[in-house]
Amino acid sequence: MDLAVIGINHKTAPVEIREKLSFPANETIEANRLLKESLFLKEGMILSTCNRVEIYAVCDRDKDYVSGIKSFMSRYHNISLSEYEDRLYVRRDRDAVLHLFSVAAGLDSMVVGEMEISGQVKKAYQDARKSLTTGKALNRLFEKALFTAKKIRTRTLIGKGAVSVSSVAVRLAEKILGKLNDKTALIIGTGAVGEKLLLYLKKNGIKSIMVANRTLEKAQDLADRFAATAVAFEVFLERLADVDIVIVSTGAPHSVIRKDDIASLMPRRKQRPLFIIDLAVPRNVDEGVNRIDNIYLYNIDDLEKIVNENIRSRRGELDNCFEIVKTSADNFMSWLVSEKIKNDPSTGSGSW
Amino acid sequence: MPGINLIHIITIYVSYAAFFAASLAAALYLVQDNAIKSKRRGVIFSRLPSLSFLDRFNYRSIGLGFPILTISILSGFVWTKSIYGIYWQGYNSRQLYSLVLWLSYALILHVRLKARLRGRKVAILSIAAFFMMALTLFGTCR
Repeated sequence: MDLAVIGINHKTAPVEIREKLSFPANETIEANRLLKESLFLKEGMILSTCNRVEIYAVCDRDKDYVSGIKSFMSRYHNISLSEYEDRLYVRRDRDAVLHLFSVAAGLDSMVVGEMEISGQVKKAYQDARKSLTTGKALNRLFEKALFTAKKIRTRTLIGKGAVSVSSVAVRLAEKILGKLNDKTALIIGTGAVGEKLLLYLKKNGIKSIMVANRTLEKAQDLADRFAATAVAFEVFLERLADVDIVIVSTGAPHSVIRKDDIASLMPRRKQRPLFIIDLAVPRNVDEGVNRIDNIYLYNIDDLEKIVNENIRSRRGELDNCFEIVKTSADNFMSWLVSEKIKNDPSTGSGSW
Repeated sequence: MPGINLIHIITIYVSYAAFFAASLAAALYLVQDNAIKSKRRGVIFSRLPSLSFLDRFNYRSIGLGFPILTISILSGFVWTKSIYGIYWQGYNSRQLYSLVLWLSYALILHVRLKARLRGRKVAILSIAAFFMMALTLFGTCR
């Protein structure tokens, strides 16, 4: 018997092809059944996320199930095999196990170490259980994959450290201000990066948000989407006295916040700390602001530097992760042998 | 007055502990503040509590230690009276140091309460005041 994975992912194919092959979430249970029944697989299931489409199968070795699965994908999505065949990868046995364990732990992801994929693998597995297309081998394979992912998350630093500008900014805000649930943020300008950061602040429980913009309508529009208050651009300096976080992302070619503006504000702020995030290029906040006590200024470069450091440190942690993956994969392979699902390769029979 | 020496000694040590905690928080504050300001590598991995927590902890510890120190100093005067018959032992005494100490913490509380200063400078002041307290406790012979 053979265990194999056939798939396509963000490394082998662009999104234009991946999206054609992906299985919508509400179809996976039905698709799993169709897959297993039409190809007479022992076990089979689909893992489909926005970055990958993979089919896991357990089948008799003598059958040409690989081309069967390929033509299943073509028929299901009604696209010709020639469009994507060279983008498919096929891994068997131990390599297939190594592959899934790496995928589930986020080691194969676009953002290395991201953990969303664990949840997606879990969901795919739960769907497969519902469609009754998995058996002893795939069940154990996926349970071990999720278990290994968890182990990697707790025993290594792979998932540590924020790897986006927004998450770095929020971590810093928490380092300075503590819990965000009684804090207020003011955003000046309505850039896309700023909006992303607002979303992240909101997710991390910020109490309230104010929006200022040269055109008040735009401010109002953004404010409406975040249940925030729009304030007139002319008075944003006044508002600086009451907020804890300021995000600046105007298109202005000059400083909109100067050192004196902030310094003169401090008595009214009762010296409360203020975290200023300057997302604009060219910079919108005087660098000297950072020298005022209780004022912390980070610009987009500072944040990106931290992001890059964290990405590098994640990469450095990959070796440790693969060690864990290998050990788990070997354990799984010996389980297959002990369960007589696969014959011991050392006996020379060479088959499952 | 019986028991006055006991009150004196207990309150000294309790206030000493409170000020020690305050200066510890202040030291951690300075480390963390410096790391964030200078955008030091790995700053977001720091396991230290947030600046606002450390600042509040420092403030509250001093707020707790100060009235206890006051009791301690007052009971010290009463104790001195019961032994030497006078309240004031003169200059270059532990009494004088204690008063200076009391004034320094009063000053810290004042600037913090009036929101003249916060954060880094208060942290430096409270560390300095703590050194003064150590001097008062161990550095005087009378």
